[in-house]
Amino acid sequence: MSNQDRMTDIIDQQRQTISELQTPVIQVWDRILALPIVGSLDTARTADMNEALLQRIVDTGSEIVILDITAVPIVDTSVAKHLLETISAARLLGAEVFLVGLSTRTAITLVHLGVELAGVVTRTTMAKGLELAFARLGLEVVARRGSKASAALPLDEDGA
Amino acid sequence: MVAIAESRLPIASEDDIVASRQRAREVARQLGFGAVDQSRIATAVSELTRNVVRYATDGRGEVTIREVSRTDRPTGLEIVVADDGPGIRDLDQAMTDGFTSGAGMGMGLPGTRRLMDEMEVDSVLGRGTVVTVRKWRR
Amino acid sequence: MARVPIVRIGDTLVATVLEDLHDRDASALETELFGRLEQSGANGVLLDLSVVEIVDSFLGRMLNDIAVGVRLLGAQMVVVGIQPAVAITLVELGLELRGVRTAVNPDRGITLLRRLAAASGITDKIAGFGGSRGGNC
Repeated sequence: MSNQDRMTDIIDQQRQTISELQTPVIQVWDRILALPIVGSLDTARTADMNEALLQRIVDTGSEIVILDITAVPIVDTSVAKHLLETISAARLLGAEVFLVGLSTRTAITLVHLGVELAGVVTRTTMAKGLELAFARLGLEVVARRGSKASAALPLDEDGA
Repeated sequence: MVAIAESRLPIASEDDIVASRQRAREVARQLGFGAVDQSRIATAVSELTRNVVRYATDGRGEVTIREVSRTDRPTGLEIVVADDGPGIRDLDQAMTDGFTSGAGMGMGLPGTRRLMDEMEVDSVLGRGTVVTVRKWRR
Repeated sequence: MARVPIVRIGDTLVATVLEDLHDRDASALETELFGRLEQSGANGVLLDLSVVEIVDSFLGRMLNDIAVGVRLLGAQMVVVGIQPAVAITLVELGLELRGVRTAVNPDRGITLLRRLAAASGITDKIAGFGGSRGGNC
């Protein structure tokens, strides 16, 4: 292997690591994956993200993916198209994708751009997405019985 | 561009569709393309060779798979699918998404275009068609 | 000619694609599945593509056609094991296979089939549409 090949390999590996750090796929529950995306989405990044996500779906047997785009600054036609592809590909693996963090303003922009998010389930926050995920899987979060437990703290907008 | 090694396969029957796509996938793998690109390349070859089998007059043609290189892109795969079929009547229409009506040369071209990085179509009515596609390793 | 083994397990026909299929094998698979469904009275089909590395538009459309036919025959089909690379390729080709229910592996697929069988009733058979939860329609 030449030095140049070695360098290319290192660069590829680093690119992969950066990619993984920027789009961590988190298993938040049995059968539920969360993917909070930070930063702008371009073709190359979405491609890496897709592959990583799909492989995690296979490895974990997950049925629901909560894709959080709150921290994606620009959602234009191209980004929307990539997201739709991610959603469609995940569907082929039997997983349903909830898109969360889509601001009203972005939604209106997309409508004006003629992008149809038909059939895409959306929620405003990760917390709401998780709530829906539990419901879909027939799960319920219940307060513990017993006096020691404090009343369940309501989730605020940040999910904290 | 500098061509390096090449495989040439005949397209004469349906069996050649599978043979060609398998070969393309194998070459892509050897060149270091990832699993998704291997799938894209194999599928593109499948679409193009099926076009020849189904729609070229006597369903005959040839597929050439070769490694290519450019100064800005060191490793690439080029596939040329040629036939002496009737040619593509309306290339613009053939390249339009949603062109799925019945029998006719050019089915599956838009999809193939999306899978590959570059595509060139050379078609002469009554003489034949040559479709060239390329994918570059990232 | 490649054959796709189809075995009956309970109320389900399990078909496992073991190699790259020629177009005619895919067509034969469709014919055989429909025939076996009619004959056996099974109400579910599990089509396993775990080993399949190339799915092009022909096979993609065939999967759609099989899904429609299975429903018309009053049964349900779940396709399992679509590989990530294949999923991405299909989507880029423009084939989303909306009419095909999928699961990530055979185990989940069987669970889904059971749920679909339980949920589907007379209405289902008359309408020819799939049942309730999950997968994709």
